[in-house]
Order: sequence, then C-alpha cells, then structure tokens
Amino acid sequence: MKKLIIFLFFSTLLVGTGCQRFLQEDLRGKVLGDAALSTQAGLESALTGTYKGLGNTWATGFLHATSIAATMGGDDVTTLPGGNKAELKEFDTFTVTAGNGRTGNLYSGCYKTIQSANNIINNYKTTVGVAATINIIAGEAYFLRALSYYWLVRLYGSIPLLTSAEFSLDLLNIKRTEPTKIYALIESDLLLAEQMLPNTKRDVGRPNIGSAKALLADVYLTEGGWPMKDQSKYALAATKAKEVIDNHSTYGFQLLSTFAAVFVNDPTLNGTAEDVFVIGANKANGTTLDANYGWSAMPGDIGGWDDFFSEINFFKDFPAGARKDKTFAVTYTKSNGTVLTWQQLVTGHPYYQKFWIKQDDPGAQNYSSSLPFPMMRYAHVLTIYAEAMARSGGPDALAYTCINSIRTRAGLTSLSGLSPADFAAAVVQERAWEFAGERTRWFDLVRLEMVEVANSHRDPAENAIPNPITKANYTFPLPLSEVLANPNLK
Amino acid sequence: MKKSFTKATAFDNQFLRKALIMTKIYILILFCSIYTVKASDTYAQNVRVNLELNNVSLNKVIKAIKEQTEFEFAYDANLDQLILNKVSINAKNEKIDNVLANVLKGTNINFRVIDRIILLSSNVIKETSGIQNGMLLQPQNLTGTVTDAQTREPLIGVTLIVEGTTQGAVTDVNGKFTLKQPSSNATLKVSFMGYLTQIINITGQSRIDIRLNPDVKNLDEVVIVGYGTVKKSDLTGSVTSISNDKFAQQNVSRIDQALQGRATGVQVTNVGGAPGGEVRIRIRGANSALGSNDPLYVVDGFVGADFTLVNPNDIESLQVLKDAASTAIYGSRGSNGVIIVTTKKGKKGSVQFDYQGQIGVSNVIGKFNLLNAADFAQVVNEKNAAIGLGAAFTPANIAGFKEKGGTDWQNEVYQTAITNQHQLTISGGTEKTTFLVSGNYLKQDGIIKNSGFDRYMLRSNLNTQLNDKFSFRFNLTGTSLVNSNNQIQSGTGNPLVQALAWAPTTPIYDANGNYTLNDPVGSLKTNPLALIFDRDLRVVRSSANIVGGLRYEFIKGLALDIQYAVDYRTQQTKTFNGNYATNFSPNASIASLQQVTLQGTNSLSFNRIINEVHSINAVAVFETQQYTANSFNGNSAGLKFPELKYDNLGQGTTFTVGSDFSKWTLMSFLGRVNYAFREKYLLSVSIRRDGSSKFQSNNKYSTFPAGSIGWNLTKEDFIKNLDVFSNLKLRASWGWTGSQAIQPYATQSTYSSIIMAFNNNNLTSGTRLGNPGNPDLKWETTEQKDIGAEIGLLKGRLTGEFDYFIKETSDLLLNRPLPSYAGGGTYASNIGKIENKGWELSIGGTPLNSKNFKWKSDFNISNVNNKVVSLGNIADRIFTGSNVGAAFSTQSEFVYQPGKPLGSYWGLKYLGTWKPNEAAEAAKFGMVSGDARYEDLDHNHVINTSDYQIIGSGIPKTTAGWNNTLTFKNLTFNIFFQGVFGVDKLDYTRAAALIAMGDNRQATLVDIKDRYIPGVNETSNIPAFSKTNQTKAQSTMFMENGNFVRLKNLSLAYNIPLPALGNSASLRISLNATNLLTFTKYKGLDPEASSVGNGTDLNQSIDYGAYPNSKTYTLGINITF
Repeated sequence: MKKLIIFLFFSTLLVGTGCQRFLQEDLRGKVLGDAALSTQAGLESALTGTYKGLGNTWATGFLHATSIAATMGGDDVTTLPGGNKAELKEFDTFTVTAGNGRTGNLYSGCYKTIQSANNIINNYKTTVGVAATINIIAGEAYFLRALSYYWLVRLYGSIPLLTSAEFSLDLLNIKRTEPTKIYALIESDLLLAEQMLPNTKRDVGRPNIGSAKALLADVYLTEGGWPMKDQSKYALAATKAKEVIDNHSTYGFQLLSTFAAVFVNDPTLNGTAEDVFVIGANKANGTTLDANYGWSAMPGDIGGWDDFFSEINFFKDFPAGARKDKTFAVTYTKSNGTVLTWQQLVTGHPYYQKFWIKQDDPGAQNYSSSLPFPMMRYAHVLTIYAEAMARSGGPDALAYTCINSIRTRAGLTSLSGLSPADFAAAVVQERAWEFAGERTRWFDLVRLEMVEVANSHRDPAENAIPNPITKANYTFPLPLSEVLANPNLK
Repeated sequence: MKKSFTKATAFDNQFLRKALIMTKIYILILFCSIYTVKASDTYAQNVRVNLELNNVSLNKVIKAIKEQTEFEFAYDANLDQLILNKVSINAKNEKIDNVLANVLKGTNINFRVIDRIILLSSNVIKETSGIQNGMLLQPQNLTGTVTDAQTREPLIGVTLIVEGTTQGAVTDVNGKFTLKQPSSNATLKVSFMGYLTQIINITGQSRIDIRLNPDVKNLDEVVIVGYGTVKKSDLTGSVTSISNDKFAQQNVSRIDQALQGRATGVQVTNVGGAPGGEVRIRIRGANSALGSNDPLYVVDGFVGADFTLVNPNDIESLQVLKDAASTAIYGSRGSNGVIIVTTKKGKKGSVQFDYQGQIGVSNVIGKFNLLNAADFAQVVNEKNAAIGLGAAFTPANIAGFKEKGGTDWQNEVYQTAITNQHQLTISGGTEKTTFLVSGNYLKQDGIIKNSGFDRYMLRSNLNTQLNDKFSFRFNLTGTSLVNSNNQIQSGTGNPLVQALAWAPTTPIYDANGNYTLNDPVGSLKTNPLALIFDRDLRVVRSSANIVGGLRYEFIKGLALDIQYAVDYRTQQTKTFNGNYATNFSPNASIASLQQVTLQGTNSLSFNRIINEVHSINAVAVFETQQYTANSFNGNSAGLKFPELKYDNLGQGTTFTVGSDFSKWTLMSFLGRVNYAFREKYLLSVSIRRDGSSKFQSNNKYSTFPAGSIGWNLTKEDFIKNLDVFSNLKLRASWGWTGSQAIQPYATQSTYSSIIMAFNNNNLTSGTRLGNPGNPDLKWETTEQKDIGAEIGLLKGRLTGEFDYFIKETSDLLLNRPLPSYAGGGTYASNIGKIENKGWELSIGGTPLNSKNFKWKSDFNISNVNNKVVSLGNIADRIFTGSNVGAAFSTQSEFVYQPGKPLGSYWGLKYLGTWKPNEAAEAAKFGMVSGDARYEDLDHNHVINTSDYQIIGSGIPKTTAGWNNTLTFKNLTFNIFFQGVFGVDKLDYTRAAALIAMGDNRQATLVDIKDRYIPGVNETSNIPAFSKTNQTKAQSTMFMENGNFVRLKNLSLAYNIPLPALGNSASLRISLNATNLLTFTKYKGLDPEASSVGNGTDLNQSIDYGAYPNSKTYTLGINITF
C-alpha cells in the first residue's frame, strides 16, 4: 500500500520536471540555416538542387513538352488543332494567356534554379573545402543562373530580377526589370563561369568552360537583335564562338561525321560529343526521365501523343538529303503492320523522326527515356560564329568552313562568295533546318523580327492565327500566379 | 435469488451504479434492487466505521455513517418515526454489518447491505424465502407482476403506492406483488429506479400486469466527457452519446459506420469506397483551411488515437463532444470536436463467449453508359472530319467492330467482391478482477480487381480493484492492417479513369498476349488492366496501443488517477510498377514509418454533494504527450527481376534512399469545475494551458478557457406540476479551442531533398530551399458559442434536442502562395478568419410500443454554413488546388474568397452551346454555332482567366440521418437513411469521358451521340465537334448537384434463445444490405465518393475517378453463451 502511494507521487513529480527542455523543438535530420552550405558536400548538394528546377519532369523545366510549346510560334513546329493540346496551340496561334500552364512550367523552373544559384553564389566564399572544387561549384551556379535568366528574358522580356535567395515579404512588391539589366547580369555571370569552370565536364549533365563560352556567344548574338539591337555584340559573339571552335578538342566538342549519329538517340550512350550542354535524364526516377523523345513526337496513329510535328510548308521547303531523311519519318507503321505516309496520318502532317528513341527492346518506343536533353550543340556554335561574323566583320574563311561543314553533313552543296547579308540570311535558314524542332527557330525569328514573315507562309491546313501578329506576341504574359501574388508586376 | 440477479446484467453497469450512489433514495424500497448486487461485498467488507454515540436518534447515526463512508441509506417512509428512536453505539474500526447489527438490536428494523446502499425495513418481513407480500400486510385483493417492457424480465423491488394513501407494496423476486384492493377510483403509482413511473387506474381490478419502460434519457445516465464523467441531467455542453446497441443491428466494421447518420452534427462521408478506404468525419464543419479538420479521437483516455485501429465491436459507447464547453478541455486540439471512445469491459460472473461471423458480397453501385466499339469508331471519324483530320477507322474496321464488338473496359476493371469478418470475445471476471479479450479478423475484397483490405485485431481489457482505495486498469490493443491497391489514385494513374479513357476499339492484349502498351486512339496513358495487375501498392500497418492506469481514492470523492499510454505504430508502404505500367522501366520501393506516442496523465478529481444542494465535480490534470516519427524509404529502379516486386530491392540498377525524423511535444495543465445547485442550476468552467514544441518563444503557450450554464427546468416544481415534460433543459456555452493545423518545423526554413540525374547511370540527391518558415506562427483559435435545449415528452417516448452554434476561427492559418520568382511554394501565416454557423436537431421517438411490436425512430438533421470572413487583406482571393484535374486545367479549381465557403469552386460559367441564331455573336469570339459558350465577364469577346468566377461550393450544408428499428417478437428490422444536401460536385470523371481533354483523346460516353450536330441536332448543349470549339472541364457544365438520399442500411435480424447453453445464450442471424438505393441527380457513379482524401476540406467534392462505394449484402451470425 505505502509502496503504491510512493510510486504514485513519484511518478506525478517525474513528468512535471524539465518543462523548458521538454518543449524544445528537435531538429534532428533537418538541413537548414548556415550549416547547409558551410561544407563542400553541402554546397555540392545545393548545386544538385540548383539543377532540379531545369529538370523536374512534368513539373518544371525542360524535360517534357513545355519548351517545345514555348517555341511553337516558329514555323518549324505545330500541334493538334483541337483536343487536348489547347495550351500548345495557344503558342502556335499567338493567343497565349497568363493562365497557360506551359509557360508556368518553364518560368517557375528557371526561377527555382535562380534561387538556388543565388544561394550558392552568395555563400560559397565561406564554404570550407577544396578551393578548386568549390570554385567549380560556384562556376556551375553562375552558368545555371545565366542560362535561366537567358530563357526568361527571351520568353517574357521584362522580368523580376533577383540576386538573393533570402525570403522576405518585401519581395512581394518588387517591379519588373528591363532586359538590358537582365542581359548585363547574364553576361557577367557567364564571364565568371568561364573563369571558374573546368575544361572537362564533371558529368554529362554539367557545363565546362566551352559550355559557358558557347552560351555567352549565343547571348551576344541575341543581344545584337530584337529587342536590344546592340550591333556591337555581334563581334563579341564571333570572338566568343571562335574561342570555343579553337579549343573544341580541349572541351571535348566535335561535329559528328553524320547527322544521323547526332540523333541516334541511344539511351545507353549518355549523349554525344556534339553536345555543348545537356540536361541530364534518367528514367529510373519519375522526375528525372526525359519525356521529350518518343511519343511526344509521334503520331497517334502509331501510339504517339501528337504533341508537336512539322508544319507542312516547312517540310516541303526542307532541302532533301541525309539530314532530311533523319529529321522526318517518311513512313509510319501501325501496330497491325499497316504502313502509312504522312499524308495518310490522321493529322496529315510529317513528324520529327529525329526525336524518336532508338528501338532496341519492345518498351523503348514510349514517352520516357534516359536520353540527355540537349540545350545546345556544337553545330550551334559553328552557326553562331558564321552569322556573327557576317553581321560584324563579314564572313571569313572560318565562317564558310563552319557553315559548309554543316551543309556537307546534311548532304547539301557548299556555300561560297555571298555578300555578308546573304551569308547571314543563309546561315539563319541553315539553322532553321539543322535545328528543326530544337527550340532554336523561334528565338531566331524573334531576334531578327521575322516572326510575322515566317508565319505568313503557312499551309491553309495549319492552325489559323486569329489576329495579326505584333511585337506584343514576341514575348508571353507573366504566369497568372505571379501577377496575383504581386500586382506590381501587371 | 442469485439467478435473478445475473439475468439483469444489462443494468449492471458502471453508470447506474454511480448514479445510484450519487442519488438519495427516499422511495419505498423493501428489499434489494437488482442492479446493486455486483460490486457490493467488496466495499462493505473493506470499509471500517468508527462511531461513538450515546442516546442519539437513529437518524443521527445514519448521518454519521454517511459522512464516513460512501453508504447511502434507503428506507420506507413508514420508518420515519422509527428512526427517531434513541440508540447508542460504540464501534471502533468495525465492519458496517457489525455496526448496524448493534445499532438496530432491539428495534423492529432489519437491514441489508447491497453494494453501497443500506436498506432499512420493518422487521415484519422475513427474508428467508423472499418476499411474499408488501410491508403492510394487506388483504390479498389485488395481485400482479411488474416486468421490464423490453426484456420481459421480472422487476424486483418495484414500489407500488395507492395514490393518496399510505398503502403500498413492493414486488418480490418474481416481480409479483399483492395489495389490498383500495376503495373506488383508486390509482396506483408504480415507480422504480431507472424506469419511467406509471400511474395506473386499478379500480375494480383484482389482477394487473404492469410493464415498465426503461427511462434511458431522463434518469441519471452518466455521460463520459473529457477527463471525467457527468450526469446527463447535469450536462451543460453539447454532447451526443451513441451506445453500442444503436449500431449493433448493422454489421459495422469501422467506427465511422457507427457514427454515420446517428450522431447529430457529425458528417461522415465515405470519400473512398474502397475497403478500408478513406472517410471524412467532420463535427460542426471545417474550421481550418490548412490543417486537418478531423475530430480528435480519445480512446480509453489516449488522446489522438487512430479510429481505424479500433474495432467497433469492442466499443461500449461513443461520445461526440461538439461545443466549446465540452472540447476546450482538449485545448489546442479541440476545435474540430472530440470523439471519446470507451471500450467494453468484462463483467463479473461466469465467462461469456460471443462469436460473430459475417460474409458479404459487394458490387459497384453503378456504371457509366459507354459507347460500344463500332459507335465509338464512328464518332471518332465524325470528330476527325469536323476538325480537319483524316479518318481513324475504315468502314471495314467499323464493320468488324459491329460484328465482333470491342473491349468493355469498365467490365474488365470491376469484380464482385467478397467480405469475411469473424469476431470472438471472451469476457468475465471475479469479485475483484474483470477481463475482456477479443479478436477480430476482417478480409474484404474491393470491387476494383486486385484491391482489398485485411485486418487483424486483438484487444485485452483488464480491470482490478486492488483494495478499497486502489484500482488498476490495463488495456492493450494490437492491430495489423493490410491495404492492397485501395488508396485513392486520383487522376490519370487511376484504373477507373483509364477504363473510361481507353478506346473500346483497342484490345486488352497485344498479339503476343501482353497488355497493350498504348492506345492509338483513346488514352495517352497506361492500360487500365496494367494499372491493376502490373502494379502493386500495399500498405501494411501494425500498431499496439497500451493504456495503464492506477486510481487511488484518498477519501470519499477525492481521487488521484495516474495513467500512462504508449501508442506504437508502424507502417510499411510497398510499391511495385511493372513493365507494362511503366513502359519498361520497372521499379519498386518500400517506405517504412515508425511512430511512437507517449502520454502521461495525472488527474485529481473531487466529487461531492454538500448539504444535499450543492453538487461539485472538479478535476485538475497535468498531461504530457510526446510524438516521434522515424521514416525510411528505399527505391529501386530498373528491376532486373520485375517478378520479385518489392521483395528484393537490391536487384535493381538505380537506387535512392531517404529518411526523416520528426518530433513534437505537448505539455498541458487543465482544470474544470462543474457545479449544480439543487440539480436545477448548472455551471461549468474549464481552462487548459498548452505548451507546444512546434512554436517559438512567445507563442509556445496558449490558454483555452470555456464556460457553460444550464437550467434544468424538469427539477422546477412549476414544470413538474405540469406533468408534461420528462425532461426540459436549457443550456448555453462559450469557449476557445485550438486546432492541430501546424506541423512540426513550420517555423523553420528547411531545405527539401530532391533527386537529379546528371547521366543515365546514376541518380544524385541534392537539397534546395523549401518553403520559408514563419517564426511567428501560432495556433488558430476557434471561439464557439452554443445554445441548446433538450426536451422529453410523453414520458420519454418523444425526445428532442436542438442546438444553435457559431464557430469563429481567427488567426486562421493560410498558405500564402509565393510567386515563382521568390522561389515559389507557400508561406504559412496566421492571417485569416473563418466562420461556421449552424444548427442541429435530433428527434427520437417510439411511435409504437406494444407487447409484440415496437418501432423506434431517430431522426437527426444538422446544418452548417461555412464562410471565409477575411484573408487578412493580403489578396482579394487566394487560389488553392488539389491538382486533381492537372491535365484539364492550369487554373486552380478552388479559391478562398471572403464571404464564400472555404474552397469554393473556381471556373467558367457555361451558357450552353452557341445556337444557330447566335452565329454573329459567336463569330465575335471566333466561334461558330455549336461551340461551347461561356460567360464573358469583361465583355472583351475572349474567354480567358479574367472570366473565371466562383461557380459552386463543395462543402455540404445539410446532413440528415433517419434510423428506424422495428422489433416484432424476436425479429428486428432496421432501416436507415442518410441524406446530404447543399453540395456541388465537380465531375471531372464525366468531363474526361465526354469532352476528351488532357490525356483523353476521344469521347467514350454514349451521351456524345446527343451532341450538337449542325443541321441535325441544334438544341443540344453538348458542344459540337469543331475546329474552333474549346470546351472547358472547369466550368458549370460539369458542376453537378451532389445532393443525395441513400438507403444506407437495411437489416433483418432474428434472435433465437438457446436455453440449453444457459439463460443468456442466444443466436442471432442477420441479413444486411448497405447502399441499396441512392436518390440523386449526380451524373457520376457515386455522389459520396471523391478523389481527394479526408486530409483536406477545400477540394472535398471533386470527382476524378473516385473509388465508388459499393452495394453490399451481408449475412451475419452471432452466438452468445
């Protein structure tokens, strides 16, 4: 009896002690605060997270049909007239609304990458570890921030400019920043990146010096055109592209000998030597698989999704040769063995065979693959040099070599003796064919203010464009979420 | 004698024992009353009395004994004079028997001790052979028996008084009585504890059989409330009690089935029709936008229990605490209401066995009417032609389908499901110790192939009285549950959605006998049968809940209770996705979660009636709770041996692992005082102070006060004299409660983990900034006001209860959406205000009550109006979305907007199709006649985001239940209707199958044949196939009325007594039908099912492939002996 009473009171007292400690939040297992980036491993982990914005399948970034949607205003791609492709069709017909989820996917992914990159850039100097590696990490962060802003500024024009990762409620009142300032940051980031990055990519899905220089060359080329129209940038573009060309073997870049080899699309290969920068993919995880190849580019008749296919006149004007043979599928074999021509397809359009997956096993031809997704290839660098030279000093021998190496591979004759303007125009046209469906043509049309002209030459069977195209259609409205959260962005 | 007492076990429960002790009995009782026998001797044997009184009245001695002990005295009014006799007593530490024997020596008074009641009676009666007649030997003119109207058991000790006289009698062990026939116009008043008093005219009668009805409502029923009990008549809060006999007729397998429609103010929605599927339970609406709105479950004192881990067959009673006066005692966890579950205990006496077995058959409640293959092919061709595409099917194809048919995907997906349940309960006890052990096994197949639910449960409840001051209890429950493929899979990964999306022209298998990998015409997504059979999602949960308590009673009415509880839960989620479900990228994973909750509760309670007018019931509690969770997951992709599924994760090519730790603690001080004056004027005041680890510095502690008052009019003479009301009470309450809306670490800015691929061989894990933490977070606070009235008429045959309440939640926690440029995500902030106003009404009656036939009917209805009051001026509206229809819409389907209910639907207003005479107007929109027409709010002739508006509300306003039990001899018939009103459902399932958006490419519903066809059918509001048409799923076109009335249960039970196995042995056979009929305008399969689980209220009525409820027939058998 007494024992029980003693036990009873003892146990009552026991639980009453140590109140303050008892109510302390236990942060075991959480990554937070300064500790997150204080070590090299932590910084590396944050860098991995920085890439995620650009490669989060179905959610953000480039690994699914959002980037092709955004460039659908080009004359190389189009989509279904009805049904479930309404959002893609908005880009094709210049009726993009703020509510279009495809723009949101690219937009939010780029900004998520910018936030993470800002975090690294502002903190890497205090990180403890091997200085050389920390430098590379920071270099990759600069590269990713520049790449993200480059996509944003081209798609939306004036955008919010952030260089800090810190959150405060004041952020909800900021205003847009005009492109000039955005481009200034992109340039300075890439100049830093090329100082900090290594010659050899640390992994397939990472940049090296060559990637940074190539991207910078592309940026300069764009700055030469609409909306900045800073002609002085063409020379810079040429110089920067030449730095890449001169050192291409150091950076591991080369123009593959055949066009077919570029698009062999063998998921076991981890890309090719023509890749300047790719976003890595692995179908082992639902958020890292690449959904741009396969069904997205195939007709429904053979199981595809009809996300995008070639405009009819683009196909018709495309010069015959090895490149055309690889670029488009000529025949389409249904599961029951019936063979169709593109005219016999339900959509009556040719499809991009260059985005089909190499068929090795029965499951290979589907929507998911581990193919790295190229953002830029060495052929881009060659054409940038060629065009930039034509628009600055005039095409030199190297410019002709660059363009002719691509034409030769495509099965076309070499160019020679053109005026700078004709040469530049020829390069731009060459880029349209070489990079058909590769999210290049739209930006060329925009910077050279050719969107209206290019779209005037449409087959009547294409999706009708309801209203005349104006400069307002050169960029897209900011996603609805942004304007709702911050009315100052209106 | 003994035999009669054991028969009466139904009334031998704790409630009535306590009630008896607490109430003085002045009525005429000559002999023992049946429900006082059980616990008797222990107390009388143990208690000791010290008395030294000389030459005082017997009355004084009685008073002295009462002060020292818990004994109550009962005596016949005719002893009034006798107890004034002077007596003397000198007792030192003596047993009550000895004391009384000494005191009463030489008087004409006999005594008998029954439990804590001492009966004094005139010596005239001999107790040797039971009582033959009343205390005053009357000429034997009027005889009769008194029995229980329900059980037909004889009632012993019933008082019969001839009104206006001193004549009376008391029934004997056989319920018999004898009375001198009084003079003309006599009436007899028959009264008995726990029964309704009857007044009977006995003029000229010589024999009369009287049946007494138990007074369940009015008498001193005890209600379990938070941290204590209170007499029902003293209750000032709003509490609904459901005892197990209310749902015993229905073969229930989970608590929600017991609550559904039976508890006023409680909304129970079977959102997932799968076996073991999700259910949403809401008490008086939803108060939190972010947090859970689930009630708090308290099982045998363990706070925060998981109701799915409680076997309903083990339940003694359920108490639903609704108003703040009742729930504020649970402080920061009380705002969603509290459901207190009390499990059964063993009873003293011989061991009782109870076996229940059930077998059931279930089928889907309905199917969509889908196009056959030939019609489908025809429609596809018509569509292609209309939008400028080529024909997908040749005439030969179509002829082939006409001849051979196609695939009926719906038929392929559903099955007839079998359910088995077995339960064995063994209970019993000795004088000091009682036990109850039960085991339950449930195996339930789902109506979707390859889905099911298995459950094993074991419970052991042990109670022991160590001595007269110490008692000890120990409850242990072990549960194991396996959910197989029955989780709600909303959207395109759902076999039901795919069954409506896949073309009937596409075969199930390809030429090689494998699942057809892709559908060239219909869906973009996976073959529905591959989703069923080439995938496996198994959730295995095991739990142990252990509650041990020790109670020590210092002196009468003052007790200390120490209770510790351990709740241990593990969950293993195993997934497998095979070749055909993943397009040859097979993967598997196992995620384990271990949760441990420790609880310590120390309570000091005090109960006393002072001077017979002031009743005080007080409790003070110190409680701590600590929750820890550890999780681990391993994922394996590129399985080399897919057939091994998740059982050999090492045989993959790419792996990822993860783990997490989470912990919170809660420390609480609380107290309550209930005061009643003459049982008429009631007052209750409580306060709780909670300290939580989830908050920083200033916000760590919060205080939750509450108060309530009541007026028990039944106890007032002016009401008593009316002789109309058996119960009439008015009550009002006010209080504050908190909610569990905030998860641990919400005040911290933590990094989240991601997986990235830098090449095709590896996955790399990384971190990035998650949602920014808000260090200023605090609890949401809900202020609730309630007024209520209880009424009982016709001697309790008709009862009613009405409540009106207003709940206002301030500091409402909202996830403020952050723009993507700021990193996206959300910022949790206490910025809003929300209001729930409503009323509840329950009416119970016994319209028919004859010897062989009885009809009991209970109806309840409750109404809640939910409204967002403020969003703290951060925006006109805040969007929120489930992403259920990710493929249909890029706009959030739901919005918070001041003045509108939580999570109102956001969408376009559909105005039907453009008609032929509207072609000119349509052209302004770039449309043609036959295209879908939407309200153009800004009149700019463009339908875009600025034309979206609030188009409905998914929160039901009114719910009702009507339960009827008809008893005819041994047959019991139960019919139970449930109704839900004032709700809109967004039917994406139908939208997907009709207008073919997102991952659906073609319409599959028969309705598409009735579309607008230029020149043919120009009145239809189903849009035509056209190049310009854009049909939006997120519009009023698919906003449907979700009201329904459902015949939830119909059962017939037959009781067969089995005297060969003992008196209480019986066999019951029952036949049950669930969800037999549904009356609704809803065009989907099931108005009750939804694609969003019980976790949120915002998106609650959206339906995109929701797992429908099933029609179930169950045969049950129940043997007790």
